[in-house]
Amino acid sequence: MDCTLRESYDVVVVGAGFGGTAAAHHTARHGLSTLVIERAENIGEKIISGLTIPIYGFLFGPGFIRDGTPPIERPVDGIINYIVTDIDREEIVIDDTLRFPKPFAPIFSFGYNAYCADFCQWQADEAVRVGAEVVTKTVVSDLIIEGGSVRGVVLEDGRNIAAKIVINAEGSQGLLSVKAGIRKKYPPRVISLADTYDYTMKKGDVDRIFGHSIRFLWAWDEQNMAPPLGYGNGLMVWPYGESLHFMQDQCLAMDDGTVQNLKKRFETYHKNVVEKLPWWRDDVEAKAELRAHTWQCFEIFVGLDDELRAMPLSTGGMLLVGDAGGLESTELCDGVPAAWFSAEIAGRVAREAIEAGDVSEDFLSRYDREIRNHPIIAWSITAPHRYLLRNAQQDHDLGSLRKYVHAGWGFGALAHTVSPLFRVFLSAIRQDPRVLTSWVRMFFRNYRHWHHSYSDDVSSCGDEVIRPGDRSVGEYIFIFLMWWSDLVLTVFWPVLWTMSYLFVPFAFLMKAIAGFMVWLYEPLYVRLLGRLDTSAVGMTEALIRFTVKARAATFGAKKRREP
Amino acid sequence: MRTTDTFPGVRWVGEPELFIRIDPKKCTGCGGCLKVCLAGCFEIVEKTARVRSLEWCMECSACWYVCPQDAVEFSWPKGGSGFHTRFG
Ligand SMILES: Cc1cc2nc3c(=O)[nH]c(=O)nc-3n(C[C@H](O)[C@H](O)[C@H](O)COP(=O)(O)OP(=O)(O)OC[C@H]3O[C@@H](n4cnc5c(N)ncnc54)[C@H](O)[C@@H]3O)c2cc1C
Ligand code: SF4
Ligand code: SF4
Repeated sequence: MDCTLRESYDVVVVGAGFGGTAAAHHTARHGLSTLVIERAENIGEKIISGLTIPIYGFLFGPGFIRDGTPPIERPVDGIINYIVTDIDREEIVIDDTLRFPKPFAPIFSFGYNAYCADFCQWQADEAVRVGAEVVTKTVVSDLIIEGGSVRGVVLEDGRNIAAKIVINAEGSQGLLSVKAGIRKKYPPRVISLADTYDYTMKKGDVDRIFGHSIRFLWAWDEQNMAPPLGYGNGLMVWPYGESLHFMQDQCLAMDDGTVQNLKKRFETYHKNVVEKLPWWRDDVEAKAELRAHTWQCFEIFVGLDDELRAMPLSTGGMLLVGDAGGLESTELCDGVPAAWFSAEIAGRVAREAIEAGDVSEDFLSRYDREIRNHPIIAWSITAPHRYLLRNAQQDHDLGSLRKYVHAGWGFGALAHTVSPLFRVFLSAIRQDPRVLTSWVRMFFRNYRHWHHSYSDDVSSCGDEVIRPGDRSVGEYIFIFLMWWSDLVLTVFWPVLWTMSYLFVPFAFLMKAIAGFMVWLYEPLYVRLLGRLDTSAVGMTEALIRFTVKARAATFGAKKRREP
Repeated sequence: MRTTDTFPGVRWVGEPELFIRIDPKKCTGCGGCLKVCLAGCFEIVEKTARVRSLEWCMECSACWYVCPQDAVEFSWPKGGSGFHTRFG
């Protein structure tokens, strides 16, 4: 425990996870004295999750993550869904419609797999760079509450630290949210326990077996392959750099309150998967070695429970970020974006409140409103197809199971994500149209970075001294194109700004249109993918060669001095 | 003895004090906490659950969520003790 801590800060953040460190980065960068308190000795080692961070988190989340070089483990350019109808006869239906087309895949991808520990440590380092203090090995055991308002935190040794605002990013258990009387403890039927196995595997084998796809498995109860009971449980396999993550999750209780014997269930699922699933048994089993076995609880489908959804996200002096505010919806793999988006909003609202000298419940309720109006957060905590999927499993209706898997993790997902994505897209270019070129740079930079993290060519990864002539012609063209686009976008900003408003009503209609038209464009897209898989191989390889050979700075990587 | 054979990749640091407790007055012995705990931390003695050992506790809090009587008192182990992993 750190003795050099001051007695008071503008902002105290509880938890150095994805949300807490992003919120701290925001408030510290804007000159507020900011302290982050983390209970783990090393950041991230108490957060367990098999992680695909969806791309919309990177596109529309905090700028320092988008423009930085975070430690990603592998780009994800496709999802393969296995619907097991009879495992003993090896009858499996495959839906792999959701893939990014070549030649841009896997440089342009749907998301990135990452380890929480490395990623959150990187975020914390970035927050420290802009002035935040981070203290580890310290539990916040209580809150200082005066006149119904939170005024600071109590540490495990009884020390009090005052804060104008406490940003609570303690994760899904929400012990402090419950203590503050803001939220209720969640019922076990909306809580899942995830059993995670981390296997080491040679990168070449991961590349060959998984490529850049994650795999989901769906099955009926009696198959005992993937946990089908409760709200939307699943089984997922994530390819990492030189490893893979296998995660099965199961609700703690059923709707009728029956509690699951999890030890038995998880053992059965794991055994059946490794012994009966053909691609695991034949391809993975011989090449993978168990490195870590962990588990963690998280809340799911909180958004579908009206009572939980209506619980507040703030009180006088305190804002709840990420999982602590129930913004998690892991079944769709999107807890991290929600934590990032809410952290940015919390940071800004905290700043406004401190500037206005008003940290009352009334003033801070603007945070609740903004969160509920955020297109992606609102969508991710309410999307009904996850609930429907669960009904399909209960009714043993293969047709609807296929339909809802397709709508959640297949091409059909585009139909209902399109409206929120288009709305945040419009609001992002309204703020700064050059975000378009930062996205392009980000994709190339991230791909290059992950490639070099797993190759022997470490020399090309660190700080670089760039001399004229070191770059290839392709790199000069890339830099010129980005520079030119930035110029055009800046000049035409007023036009883009006005047009973005004109498109807003259209954004609301897009879901209906996309849903209606999916039958038309999906077969075309699937055919295109088939063609590109064979014809664009050369182009894809050339693009990858260009990306990995280029200088990091070509894609906007900043030089870093050690802190 | 805790070994990495049983829980590979995880290491326990320090000797956590009893950060999870069961209030015997509230507990009805329903066994919910026993069923969800993958680390086998609980036992039922005379129709009441009690903590056997938190040696392998992964701080998942499933026991706290599942108890219908609110008999599980849950807090975090102090000072970064408890389980550590890098692969999460
Ligand atoms: C198994 C699993 C799989 C998941 N898969 C995905 C996925 O694929 N994609 C995705 O986007 N999301 C996924 N999620 C969800 C995602 O991990 C969370 O939504 C995200 O971590 C939330 O960030 P947060 O900052 O709110 O909380 P966390 O990242 O959980 O951080 C909370 C931090 O607070 C600390 N803390 C808690 N209490 C205290 C205290 N009292 N004092 C001091 N420190 C404290 C904790 O140690 C922790 O570091 C998954 C989650 C799990 C469990
Ligand atoms: S927190 Fe999890 S591992 Fe620890 S005792 Fe409770 S159920 Fe068991
Ligand atoms: S779940 Fe609660 S009531 Fe049931 S045995 Fe455990 S402590 Fe007792």
